[in-house]
Amino acid sequence: MEGFIATGLIGISLGSQYTLLALGFTLIFGILGVVNFAHGGFYVMGGYVAYYCTAMLGLPYPVALVIAVGSTAALGWLFEVLILERVIEDHQATLMVTMGFYLVMATAILVIFGAESPEFSFPLSGVWRAGGIYFPYANMVVLGVCLAAIALVYWLVYRTNVGRAMRAMAEDRAVAGALGMRTKVLFPLAFALATGLAGLTGALVTPILALAPHVGDPVLAFSFLTVILGGLGSVTGATVAAFIVGLVEAYAAVYLGGSKGALTLFVLVLIILVIRPQGLLGKEVRRA
Amino acid sequence: MALGFGRLLGGTLLASLALGGTAFGCELKIGSPAVLSGPAAQWGLALRGALEFVAKETMQEERLVIDGTPCTVTPVVIDSKYTAEGAASAMNALAAEGVKVVVGAVGSPEVTGMKPVATRNRMVAMVNSFAKDAIGPQWPNVFHIGPGPSGWAGPIIDKGLELYDFDTVAIVAPNDQGGTDIASVNAQVFKEKGVTAVEEYYQRGTTNFAPIITRLMGANPGAVDLASSPAGDAGIIVKQLRQAGFTGPIFRLGGPGTEEIGRVAGGYGVLQDFIWFEPVAMDENLRALEEKHLELMGSPRPENGDYFRWVYAARMMIKAVQAAQTVDDAEKIAEAMRSLPVDDENIGAGHWIGQGFFGINQEMSYPFAIGLIQGGEQKDFIRAEAVSEG
Repeated sequence: MEGFIATGLIGISLGSQYTLLALGFTLIFGILGVVNFAHGGFYVMGGYVAYYCTAMLGLPYPVALVIAVGSTAALGWLFEVLILERVIEDHQATLMVTMGFYLVMATAILVIFGAESPEFSFPLSGVWRAGGIYFPYANMVVLGVCLAAIALVYWLVYRTNVGRAMRAMAEDRAVAGALGMRTKVLFPLAFALATGLAGLTGALVTPILALAPHVGDPVLAFSFLTVILGGLGSVTGATVAAFIVGLVEAYAAVYLGGSKGALTLFVLVLIILVIRPQGLLGKEVRRA
Repeated sequence: MALGFGRLLGGTLLASLALGGTAFGCELKIGSPAVLSGPAAQWGLALRGALEFVAKETMQEERLVIDGTPCTVTPVVIDSKYTAEGAASAMNALAAEGVKVVVGAVGSPEVTGMKPVATRNRMVAMVNSFAKDAIGPQWPNVFHIGPGPSGWAGPIIDKGLELYDFDTVAIVAPNDQGGTDIASVNAQVFKEKGVTAVEEYYQRGTTNFAPIITRLMGANPGAVDLASSPAGDAGIIVKQLRQAGFTGPIFRLGGPGTEEIGRVAGGYGVLQDFIWFEPVAMDENLRALEEKHLELMGSPRPENGDYFRWVYAARMMIKAVQAAQTVDDAEKIAEAMRSLPVDDENIGAGHWIGQGFFGINQEMSYPFAIGLIQGGEQKDFIRAEAVSEG
């Protein structure tokens, strides 16, 4: 029984990390209609900015977190304004541009910091234990931040005028524009919010796992898997899917082994998508 | 029009002759499919650093002279991404550049992918890989840089059993050839030493090992072996093992990378009791090599200990090219290599082995070392003699 509970905690911990990643990814698709292949790059950048601030500049970790969020959001805003906005109506072009930007980011990080992992540890290192159940404090912090981020995104998207305007643009950009909503302000803002979330996740999760220039690749893959499962563009769907993915991954890996666990997860996602191609909570047709 | 065409043709011919003159000068291109990205990048960086050093050393000291002309040596290193397809693609690119001499790759998947391309393009190669078929009679021009765990796992396990009390071990590795070939050999050697071994595999690309650690802990092992898990992965596994409350010794019977594993895990204090295969035992000769690298290259040698093995391999390849007196006839270079003694001015002498395990006597064997961290403190390397057959 202890093992079952411990596995559930691991699943929740994984789910919280995937939620943080998927929220930004699905926001960008939901509002801009762009599949952001550079998402993993912003995650890595967040990690390296936090590392640089703590290890090189000697700043406290919370300050480093804020700087990581600010810098990734700022870069995301600039990228949207200067590059993405020019091709935003062309879906293929946005795919190529975001993928290209990811390669530029990953290579730049590789050149600046090298290919090897630096020493970057979470400032809180203890583990809560109760018999055979354990939960690292760092994971608790990530879970807390994840819940706060979900609440913030929901509040922003569903309870503020900015959020309403973003959702209106997601529904029909032309009509929203005709009604006076400023796409040239709101699109970069949405993109910056999403990349800031990716940066926050990178700054939080890389000291718990590992920091290296390539760690954005699996992040992109899991973000994509999660939002496809939840329904592209659905914030609620992404959140639900992230926790399903985390729990299935944990239980399958513990009870079936690492290889079969991964296989189980992918087969389950495949079955869900065969039954509901639009994802768990996605709409059948995206109109924007 | 005809006059213009004739001039163009004449100009092209002259340019070809001029460039051809350069090409006919003595230049040895040493190709290398090396992993330069991803969690195994540290191994590829060691390989690239060694090649660049040996190339410069060879030219500066005129170690390669063919028909009285000192040769230039140019390393051509392409990222093989630790995958079979990446290495095959890199080898095709090298073949297109006319490369005939190859040093690398590092990992089993890469070597599996590169060997057919090397054979098809008549290249001679010195590879790593701990795969069970790293070399073989079907690839006569492929040589092996040194024994895999079948050679050195035994003495390291003996040392572990001498220091720690355990009779079960959990071996964790990626679920591809780079993991399964090594983990299964390690398991066999553990069993021969009376230790019950369970193998646990994970999907390459996994970033969070907490579920796998929970499964491992369920088996209640006395020790854990990280086998050939890339250093980045291994660091996370160690960190999460200690978080889960595992206090036993951790073996690393795979490629070296203790420094990076320690950094990712959070320091040697987290490694606590850690025992691993180190390619060489550090001594005055190796320190002299480190100083020479610093002097020649203007920067310290790559951190990973595999650097020394690749220096050994690259120098052997240069000696074979020198003995064969050709930079592009792979058959002659391979023939010359077979008759060379296994010897290096810094690392020491050894011998050719491989007939018993691979069916071909083309594996270099030379002294290696056992690395040890006890109670979070690194101890002196323990020197072990070159593995021999029979």
